Amino acid sequence: MYMENALENFEISISSATCLKSNNTIFSDINYTLKSGELLLVMGPNGCGKTTFIKSICGIQKLEEGAIKLNNVDISHGDSQHLGNFLYIGHKNSLNDSLTVFENLEYLCALDRSIQNNIKSEITRNLSFFGIENYKNYLVSKLSEGNKKKTSLTRLLLTNKKVWLLDEPLSYLDENGANKVLKLLNNHLIGGGIIIASSHIDFSVDIGNSKVFYMDNSL
Amino acid sequence: MIKTLFYKEFQNYFRNLSSIFLPLIFFFLIISIFPLLIGPDKVLLNKIVPGIVWITIIFTTLLSSNNFFKDDYNNGYLETFLTSDSSVEFILFLKIISCWLFTCFPIIIFIPLVSIFFNISMKDSFIIISTLVIGSPVLISIGIFGSALTLGLAKNSILVPIIILPFFIPILIFSASAIESVSSGTPYEMQIYILLALLVFVLPTMPYLLKYTLSLSINN
Amino acid sequence: MNISKIANLKFFFTKTKNLSKFLGYLTFFLMLGGIYWGLFVAPSDYLQGESYRIMYLHVPAAWLSLQVYMIMAFAGFISLVWKVKIMEIISIQCAPIGAYFTLIALVTGMVWGKPTWGTYWVWDARLTSELILLFLYIGIIALYSSFSDKRQAVKITSLLTIVGLVNIPIIHFSVEWWNTLHQGPSVTKFDQPSMHISMLLPLLYMFVVFNLYFVAVLIKRVQLGIYSREKKSKWMEEYLNG
Repeated sequence: MYMENALENFEISISSATCLKSNNTIFSDINYTLKSGELLLVMGPNGCGKTTFIKSICGIQKLEEGAIKLNNVDISHGDSQHLGNFLYIGHKNSLNDSLTVFENLEYLCALDRSIQNNIKSEITRNLSFFGIENYKNYLVSKLSEGNKKKTSLTRLLLTNKKVWLLDEPLSYLDENGANKVLKLLNNHLIGGGIIIASSHIDFSVDIGNSKVFYMDNSL
Repeated sequence: MIKTLFYKEFQNYFRNLSSIFLPLIFFFLIISIFPLLIGPDKVLLNKIVPGIVWITIIFTTLLSSNNFFKDDYNNGYLETFLTSDSSVEFILFLKIISCWLFTCFPIIIFIPLVSIFFNISMKDSFIIISTLVIGSPVLISIGIFGSALTLGLAKNSILVPIIILPFFIPILIFSASAIESVSSGTPYEMQIYILLALLVFVLPTMPYLLKYTLSLSINN
Repeated sequence: MNISKIANLKFFFTKTKNLSKFLGYLTFFLMLGGIYWGLFVAPSDYLQGESYRIMYLHVPAAWLSLQVYMIMAFAGFISLVWKVKIMEIISIQCAPIGAYFTLIALVTGMVWGKPTWGTYWVWDARLTSELILLFLYIGIIALYSSFSDKRQAVKITSLLTIVGLVNIPIIHFSVEWWNTLHQGPSVTKFDQPSMHISMLLPLLYMFVVFNLYFVAVLIKRVQLGIYSREKKSKWMEEYLNG
C-alpha cells in the first residue's frame, strides 16, 4: 500500500508550524513545501530546536499551531495510516543493549510494515554496506558509538518508506561512513523519496536537490 | 511480525535472567520477614498469610513496573515504535503480558511452597493462586500506567506508588474477600466473577490508554 | 498563537476580579447564618442528641469532595480533547480545594465518631472511601507538582484524574462490599430514612453555601493560576501597569 502512493506526486507541506515548550517558543511560523526528490537540511547551533522540529513532523512533538500535510492530508494529529510513510531515525538509536546487532535490526524491521520480503537474509546482506558484518552477533552494549550509529542507519537500506526523518545522521561517523550515508541519501532522492535531516555540518553541497533551513532560536 | 515482536520481549527478559529471579527472591524475603516480626504463632500466621502474599505482590509489581518504559525511552525505542505503522496497542499488550509472565507468574508458581511454610490447606492455597492469576495482571497493567504517566520525570521512585496504590484497592478487597470466604466456607464465586470482570475490562483497554499516555509523555 | 484562546484567559482574569471578592464576602455572611441555623435553630436529634449537628459541616464537605472531583475530571477532559486553556487551569486548581473538602469531611467525621462510637476512627465504609479519595487527591497534586513544565503537568494530571473518575465508583463499591462483609458499626452515619424537614433545610442551605464558597475560592485560584502562567505575556503587563 505504501508503494502505490504515486511517486511523482509525493509532497509534504509544513505550514505556519509553531511549537511551544513550557511557554517558550521553540520555533514559529515555519513554512516549507517538499516534493519528491528533495532534501530539507535543518541546521543551527545546539539547542535551537532541530530535534524538536524533526519530531514534530512525525507527530512525536505536538504542534501548537500549523499543519503538516502529506499529499494535502493533514497528519499533524497523528494519523497512523499516514505515519506509515515516515521512517524516523532519532538521535538516540533505538538499540537495546542486551540484544545483538542482528536481533536489534530484526525487531526494528518487524515494526516497519513497508518491508515485505525476508528480513533475515536482507539484514545479513546489508550489514556489509557499512562494514559492520563482523559485529552481526555482538551485543550492542559492546559496540562503539559509531558502530551503533551504523547499525541504526542500516535500517535505511532495508526500508521502503518514502519519507526519511533523520536526526543528526552523520554524528559519530567516520569520513568513510559519512560518505556512505550521503550516497544513501542521494539514492533515496533519485528514487523519488523525501528527506528531512538535521545536522550541524552543511552537507547540502553533496546532495543534488536540497534546501537549507537555518534555525536560529534566540531565547 | 507478531512472532518476532513477542520473541523480542521474551529475549529481553531472558538476557537479563536476574530480572526474573530477583522479584522471586524479593518475594520470599518479604514473606519470611513477617514471622520474624509477629512471632511464629501458627494460627495467626495462617490467618494473615493471604494478606501477606498480596502485600508482597503489591511491592513486587510496583518495583518491577516502576521504570518500565525507562530503557525504551532512553535508547529511543519508544519513539520508534510510537511512530511506526505497526499496531502500537498490540506491542504494548505484549509488553504487559511479558512483564506479568516474568515477574508475577514465577511467584504464583511458588505459592504451593509458601503454603507449606505457613501451613495453608490445599483449598486455601488454590484460591490464593486463583485470585493472584486473575488479579496480578490488573495490578501490573495499572503499575505500568503509572510508570507511563511519570516517564517525563527524572526521579519518580516513590511517586508512582503514591498515585497508583488507590487504584489497586478494588482488586485487593475482592481478592482478600474471596480468600476469606473460602476459609470460612461461605460462597466466593461472586468475588471471583468481579475480579474476572475487572481483568476483562482493564486488560484490553490498557494498551489504548497506555498509547495515549505515552504520546503525551514523550511530547515534552 | 490562537487569539481566541489567549483572549479566553485574559477575559476571565479581567472580568472576574471583583466577582471573587463579592462571592467571598457573600459566602462569609451566608455561612455565619447557616452555622447559626444548624447549631441553634434546628431541633436536636432524638437518638444522637446534639452531636449530630456537626453533620452541617460534614455532609456538605463530603458531597463537595466528590462533586469537586467530578468537576476537575470534566474540566480535565475538555482541556485534553479540545485544548481549552482555561479548563487546564480550572482542572488543576480544583485539586487542592477538593483535598481540603475531603480533609474537612474526614476530620468532622472523626470528631463525630468520638461520642458516637467511642473512638475517633473506625474503618467505616464512608470514612474509608473518603480517606481513599484523599489519597487520590494527594496523588494528583503530587504528580502535578513533580513536573517542572506545568503545561505538560496539566495534561498528564488530567489523564490521571479521568482514569480516577472511572475508578471512584469501583473503589466505592468495593469498600461497601468490604464493610458489609466485616459487619461494620451498627450506627451508620446520618442514615435516617427520612430526615425531618427542619433538619434537612439547614443541610441543603449549607450545601448551597459550600458550593458558593467553592466557586469563590476556585475563581481566586484560577486567577492566580492565570497570573503565574501569563505573567510574562504582553496583555498581563499592560493590564497590571495600566
